[in-house]
Amino acid sequence: MSERRAPALRRTLTRLARSVFRIGWPRSRADRAAALLSSLVLHLHPSRVRARVLRPQTTLGLGLVGFYLFLVLTVTGLALMLYYVPHPDAAYRSMKDIEYATTFGRLIRNAHRWAAHGMVAIVFLHMCRVFFTGAYKRPREFNWVVGVALLLLTLALSFTGYLLPWDQLAFWAITVGTSIVAYAPVVGERLRYLLLGGHEIGQAALLRFYVLHCLVLPLAMGFLVAFHFWRVRKDGGLALPPGPSRRVLAWPHLLFRELLVLLLVLVVVNVAAIAFDAPLEEIADAARTPNPAKAPWYFLGLQELVHYGAVLGGVVVPAVMVLALLALPYVDTRPGGVGVWFARERRLANAVFGVIALAVVVLTVVGTFFRGPNWAWVWPWAP
Amino acid sequence: VSPKGEERRRPRGLGRRIPARLRWSFLFLSFALLATVAVAVVKERRAGWRVWQERFAELEGEQTPAKGNGDAERGLRQIWLPALDRVDRCTSCHLGIADPEMARAPQPFRTHGGTWLETHRPDRFGCTTCHGGQGEATTYRGAAHERIPFWPQPMVSRELMEARCGTCHRERQPRAARWLARGRALVKVRPAWLRGWLKNPKAYLERSRMGDFRLKPEEVEALTSFLLQPHGVPALDVVDWSRADPERGGEIFRRSRCVTCHSVNGRGGTLAPELAHVGAKVTRDWLYSWIRDPRRLQPKTLMPRFRFADDEVRDLAAYLERDFSEPRGQDADDSLPEPALAPEGRHIFERRGCYSCHELEGFPTLPRIGPKLTGIGDRVLEPAPLLARGIVPSLPNWIFTKVSHPDDVLPGARMPTFGFTPDEAAAVTVALMSQRARQTPAAWTTHDPVLPPYEPQGRFGALVRRYRCLSCHRIRGTGGTLSTVLLDRIGSQLRRDYIERFVQNPIGVRVSLPVRMPHLNIAPEEARVLADYLSTVMVDDSLEVEVPRDPATVARGRELFDRHGCIGCHIAGEHGGYVGPELNGSGSRLKAGWTVAWLMDPERWKPGTLQPDYRLSRADAEALAAYTLSLPARRAKAVQ
Repeated sequence: MSERRAPALRRTLTRLARSVFRIGWPRSRADRAAALLSSLVLHLHPSRVRARVLRPQTTLGLGLVGFYLFLVLTVTGLALMLYYVPHPDAAYRSMKDIEYATTFGRLIRNAHRWAAHGMVAIVFLHMCRVFFTGAYKRPREFNWVVGVALLLLTLALSFTGYLLPWDQLAFWAITVGTSIVAYAPVVGERLRYLLLGGHEIGQAALLRFYVLHCLVLPLAMGFLVAFHFWRVRKDGGLALPPGPSRRVLAWPHLLFRELLVLLLVLVVVNVAAIAFDAPLEEIADAARTPNPAKAPWYFLGLQELVHYGAVLGGVVVPAVMVLALLALPYVDTRPGGVGVWFARERRLANAVFGVIALAVVVLTVVGTFFRGPNWAWVWPWAP
Repeated sequence: VSPKGEERRRPRGLGRRIPARLRWSFLFLSFALLATVAVAVVKERRAGWRVWQERFAELEGEQTPAKGNGDAERGLRQIWLPALDRVDRCTSCHLGIADPEMARAPQPFRTHGGTWLETHRPDRFGCTTCHGGQGEATTYRGAAHERIPFWPQPMVSRELMEARCGTCHRERQPRAARWLARGRALVKVRPAWLRGWLKNPKAYLERSRMGDFRLKPEEVEALTSFLLQPHGVPALDVVDWSRADPERGGEIFRRSRCVTCHSVNGRGGTLAPELAHVGAKVTRDWLYSWIRDPRRLQPKTLMPRFRFADDEVRDLAAYLERDFSEPRGQDADDSLPEPALAPEGRHIFERRGCYSCHELEGFPTLPRIGPKLTGIGDRVLEPAPLLARGIVPSLPNWIFTKVSHPDDVLPGARMPTFGFTPDEAAAVTVALMSQRARQTPAAWTTHDPVLPPYEPQGRFGALVRRYRCLSCHRIRGTGGTLSTVLLDRIGSQLRRDYIERFVQNPIGVRVSLPVRMPHLNIAPEEARVLADYLSTVMVDDSLEVEVPRDPATVARGRELFDRHGCIGCHIAGEHGGYVGPELNGSGSRLKAGWTVAWLMDPERWKPGTLQPDYRLSRADAEALAAYTLSLPARRAKAVQ
């Protein structure tokens, strides 16, 4: 009897699997190519990639890491949404509940926090990689523009999420951040009003930031990321130096490496979440300004500049930087040096970009570690 | 599919194989991921509170094996108090607080000390309401047993516990909170300040609560000049002093029992100013006008208008001037200050915020000069001044330093020093620490129900205002607390005729009591009005019941009287103690229904009374009342 049932069961399971995956486990070369083509997720990959793509030093996997962090953030963020209450009277308490009473709550919040910070850094580094390998050149100009938009979205996501814990850190970082926004000429004050839903950070601002953080920005991010990937493929895959290159099947070579990177990201995020607790300061108090009140760390470069001149740091520098980044591929149209790190013929461009990137890093480090009360210079190791 | 299996099945010649290095990396990373997940799970399962609950179960098993290991009760526990916006999870670890068997258990399991949990049930008050700390936390550190960053209120130390009492016990002093009561009394403002200040307060009166503003001599002069300007004070009466008789004034002073409210050299009442040197402070003309009609000079004064004849007032004022003006500082300059200094004095008056405590006619009503004290118990302090003096920068230390030495916290402070001893400063600190930023909801605070202020009208009202009954007595929540006799149901307690006699000639029924009603010289007609009103309006119908007075009941009452040893405190017949009122003739004084109710539950009618509660049944109380009220008055022997 069992002999008769076994094949029947197997047939049913196979049918079930087929109904889900459309084709079976690919065993032949053709099957594997077909698997990539016929899968919604996998078809963003070409069926065959050049062997050089697989080498870690080609891209350092930064874009992929950024994407994985986004996935981690989506999953942990959804979990947090089950407990978080976006109202000034309840937000802080719900954070405390997540920290102390929710099973794995603290771990998930830590993971979300560190993954978010990590994503900002990784996306920035990804941009640097793309620049230093000249990967924004024809025909990839527009994908660079999309990338810039993704960078801004990442910052916006991190910034809107910063307010949600409703502690002193959140409240004053957003106060400083939105006052930088207000430095913009003509529209600055209105923009700030629109962002906060009022003149001060309160219930309206919290709800706005919550909706932006949990709905609007992630959706935009999802669409743009998909578009970004699609354009990578349509623009001829990763930027590599011209010349012959052996091609290998994306399945298994590329997929396996992507899986490795995913594992690595998860391990690092887990370790960080276990080892370090995300900060949660006192409950937000509009009457008590910490000194210094600091913006989120990725805006501290700007805040440092605001210290020298409000319009300079709040308007001129960020506007010029964003515009320059957007215009870059259409200004620098010389074809040379694509796919090569620090190509000789791009020495000047790389030097200029390198100095600017370094300046951003230095200003951020200074703003983060070297600024004390009244934005005076302090040594981080001073008591 | 294991790497090996795939390798076997994989057709050859399909490009390079995945390098072994990467396969090992895969294996390693997979294990690493599993390991991190395992660590996270272990961390969650071995959370502090879970471990404590296991240990508690073991402990319980040892002590009372019948209880088993208590597995059913495990899990995070919390007390949710929505009205207080509080979640206390303390009981997740402090599992034995209500279990008397855990009295000797180690912390965190030990039984809560005292009977506090009976009066402050944890399910209604939680834990952090009294103890402070972070109730949401489920770790030792997170609960802020000690000071932690980002949680401003760590658990309250033993010395500061009473501050938490005061957060809810706002008006009535909790009996056990002595520091709180002391501190509150010290921050209370008294009218003696201004007068004391005028005459150089410390030299004039040791107990003056007027602060030391550390004024320079020229500032003193200017301020004196300003204050001695006429500020719309009514004109004084014109008196012929040639026939004044200070000796008679002294008699009047003693007979009227002025010391019920006033003190003389620190002995006597505390309701009204010290009189020891009053003659050196104010003129006899002012005294005359004042005693004759206090309300004319100060509309809000507590002082009653005694029914004195004008010559009695004159003699009294003369007596006060003669006997109460011991010359101090003979060399003191008694000349009038230069009027030109007045504007400068006004400036000082404003700058030092004198108007915060003192009223001055024609002076604008400005907000108090000092910052609000509401919420000071949650204030975040500036640690630098304390650190500079090597003091641990905590809020209590900050307040303590500020009230002891204002200049230490803020150099050049306008705040005066009050000469607090360290103990007094500590008490003030406790009282101030009870001022929390977030007000306890009304249902959790203990203060008397907010009633509309009681303003009696008509002839009765006029008498109450004239004799300032409410300076000492209370009716419907309005009035003073000097007298322990509540007037709300006095008509059910005392017989009408007794009331009428008493207000005319207030002879104390308790000879041991230092505070006695002053002799106000109330006229017979007035006494009749008061007695009629009090015995028809100020009554409690539940007390107006008949009590059997038959001989059998009286006999039983006598038996009870002897059994309970009433005579130890009360005089009955020829003997007895002096703690309670004499009972001879009490039948002409007390009403029977009241006496029964009083004997059954004295604490209910007079909290803190010395009368013991014998938990008498109604029948017993009636018998006892019948006996005591039947005792005849002793003849012709005044108690006084």
